[in-house]
Amino acid sequence: MNLLLLFQDAFWSAVAALGFSVLFNVPRRMLAGGMICAAVGHAVRTFLMQAGLDIVPATLVGALMIGFLGIGFGRYWRAPSLIFTLSASVTLVPGVFAYRAMLGILQVSASIDPAIGGPLLVEATTNAIKTALILGAIGVGIIAPRLLFLREKPVV
Amino acid sequence: MSATLPKKPPLDKLALRDVIDLSLWAGQLLLQHGAESARIEETVHRLGTGLGADWMDILVSPNAIAVTTVSGEEFRTKIRRVVSIGVNLRAIEQINSMTQRVIAGELDRVQVRREIEQIVRQPRQYTRWASVVMVGLSCAAFSQLFGGDWPVFFTTLVASMLAMFVRQELIRRHFNPLLVVIGTSFVATIFASLASRFQWGEQPQIALASSVLLLVPGVALINSAEDLITGHLVVGIIRGISGGLISLGIAVGILMGIRLMGISGL
Repeated sequence: MNLLLLFQDAFWSAVAALGFSVLFNVPRRMLAGGMICAAVGHAVRTFLMQAGLDIVPATLVGALMIGFLGIGFGRYWRAPSLIFTLSASVTLVPGVFAYRAMLGILQVSASIDPAIGGPLLVEATTNAIKTALILGAIGVGIIAPRLLFLREKPVV
Repeated sequence: MSATLPKKPPLDKLALRDVIDLSLWAGQLLLQHGAESARIEETVHRLGTGLGADWMDILVSPNAIAVTTVSGEEFRTKIRRVVSIGVNLRAIEQINSMTQRVIAGELDRVQVRREIEQIVRQPRQYTRWASVVMVGLSCAAFSQLFGGDWPVFFTTLVASMLAMFVRQELIRRHFNPLLVVIGTSFVATIFASLASRFQWGEQPQIALASSVLLLVPGVALINSAEDLITGHLVVGIIRGISGGLISLGIAVGILMGIRLMGISGL
């Protein structure tokens, strides 16, 4: 795996997370936390995919990294970990898959010939399932570290 | 359950009213700024008991909070309607640290009221133009992650900056939230499809997919997953549905845009 490509991947994910941190009004002094989470999480996912893993398990591992780092930063800055994990996890969102699934479904609805519509439907459904699974992997990956480490007796 | 709690001096009527008012206010801020249900319940409970109540019961619903506070023989219940007004993680962080100081006994009721008023009154840290530029850069960074080249990068940058500006204007004019999403994604698509029309770059359709990403309902979906996992099923389901509706709104905006511009989009 080309190290420069991996570095570029981390850089652009950090930029993407920074934009969302601004959108979510993250405190200034904590901006770096979300950027590091995103850079590590996304680069890990890219690395695993280059190594031959499917995007869904790779996303799960990337999201787990974000979740673990979020807990660490939360302890360091004495802040809720979602401040770091929310904007970082947006970088894992499967934008292109969701886009292709949506346009594919619209094309199926417009095609009359089943010989053309059939393959289109298969492709659109595959993309939709991928999108759903990746979103699920992000959710589980972000939350699992908190469920493992921050187990306090419920107060309510 | 209250029999097992250490006895606190019962609060008088005025103090009880203050405690429920302040803790409900804090809960309202958490809910409207995008905190997950477990955090809201825990914070309201800790705040109320930290201010002198014996026990707090909290019911978080997708657009309302109900709190009952108990002290000695007295109790009070209050409900507040909550409208989500956009994610603000700074407010959540400030309420979190305020609650820690209340538990440590550093703040009394008067000081808590002053703190919350200050949190409500403070302006956002980033100006609207900073948001426009940063969000534009963010979507353009996504186009790089999706494998786009420089022409696609700059198309996405301008398209999403334009879209963010339109989104702010629509929100300011109090349009329906879903209508804001549709309008924003429409504007982003119209500009991004210029890349496909005039063949800017190798894969111009990446600009279409990237420039609408500023609308991704990330917080709704993540909070939905978290609420479902922690057993707050009703709030979790509703948040999932609202995230789905926003995604649908994005799709409608893209569809209108690419049909109008006469491109296939794939």
